[in-house]
Amino acid sequence: MQYFDVIIVGAGIAGMTAGIYVKRAGLSVLIVEKTVHGGQIINTLNIENWPGDLGVSGADLANKIYGQVSELGVEVKYEEVETMNEISGKKGFRVKTDENEYSCGAIILAMGTEPRRLSEKQTADAGKRAISYCATCDGALYKDKPVVVVGSGNTAKHEIRYLENIASKVYHIHHDDPIPKDAEAVFVAIGRVPNTKVAKDLVDINSEGYIVAEEDCKTSRAGVFVAGDCRTKKVRQLVTAAGDGAIAAEAAIDYLAKK
Amino acid sequence: MKDINADEFEKEVLQAKGLVLVDFNADWCGPCKMMKPILEAFAKTHSEVKLVGVNIDDNDELAEEYRVSTIPCMVMFKDGIEVAREVGVQPERKLKKMMEV
Repeated sequence: MQYFDVIIVGAGIAGMTAGIYVKRAGLSVLIVEKTVHGGQIINTLNIENWPGDLGVSGADLANKIYGQVSELGVEVKYEEVETMNEISGKKGFRVKTDENEYSCGAIILAMGTEPRRLSEKQTADAGKRAISYCATCDGALYKDKPVVVVGSGNTAKHEIRYLENIASKVYHIHHDDPIPKDAEAVFVAIGRVPNTKVAKDLVDINSEGYIVAEEDCKTSRAGVFVAGDCRTKKVRQLVTAAGDGAIAAEAAIDYLAKK
Repeated sequence: MKDINADEFEKEVLQAKGLVLVDFNADWCGPCKMMKPILEAFAKTHSEVKLVGVNIDDNDELAEEYRVSTIPCMVMFKDGIEVAREVGVQPERKLKKMMEV
């Protein structure tokens, strides 16, 4: 079983930043990512709040950071974590993916969030119509056609403004309303949920699914740290994800040094 | 990746023998941009699969015909018949699974 000092789960901004810090401290590190590096930002056309690169697209920023990560020699594997366990006697952790099994001295959880799915009732109501979680990705497929946006937060408002320039009509409904008969696609913006199921037996998770930790990024279990949007926090932004990445990495480095 | 248009689709996909993976995409779509290198790496190690791209802006009638409602949308054809479909960014191992159908 291959051993790494630190295994990071998730290659979003938090996870990749943590990877940079751990590697630069001279430790061995593996990032495990189930789909593609970048996380939530790959859906964003223009990023206006990342210092130093005004208007960069999410995909380009993700690839730039990934380039830096690989340049430093951080290993990234595209596998899905299935289980994480502490080895008895506090001898580190075992991380099992769909393809491999690894051991490590510390874990950084950076799994991010995913869009909250449409309710069963509304999904049934949508029938064969398209359900999309990204207006900037799929909006153009509905040029001059009626569409509906589900949701009441800022994201929903943003999606509506974007679609109004493309679609013939943009309906706006809430999460329990019936879907208009003539809408050809349903754009869903009803919030996000943390991707933390796989960590539920490892660390404390709150009722909304977020991993409980203060600004020091330390979870309920020694040796396990959390970074980015899946942590209990107020401000979920790219820069705070990067900040968490650095803090969690330093905490993991410190933990391993004192062990 | 070879980009094809609606006129070439018949010959390149429907009349082709064996496996053809069609990537429906668009320039402005971030996830499509992330998907491209994954598709290219997959094609490199799986020479039995022919990879082609269809830009849905230039070929909206094809996108409609194949009911492409979200992108990126990857459709696997075997001897001209659709056998598997995945939407959204997919890691290489999921593309591999599309071959097994």
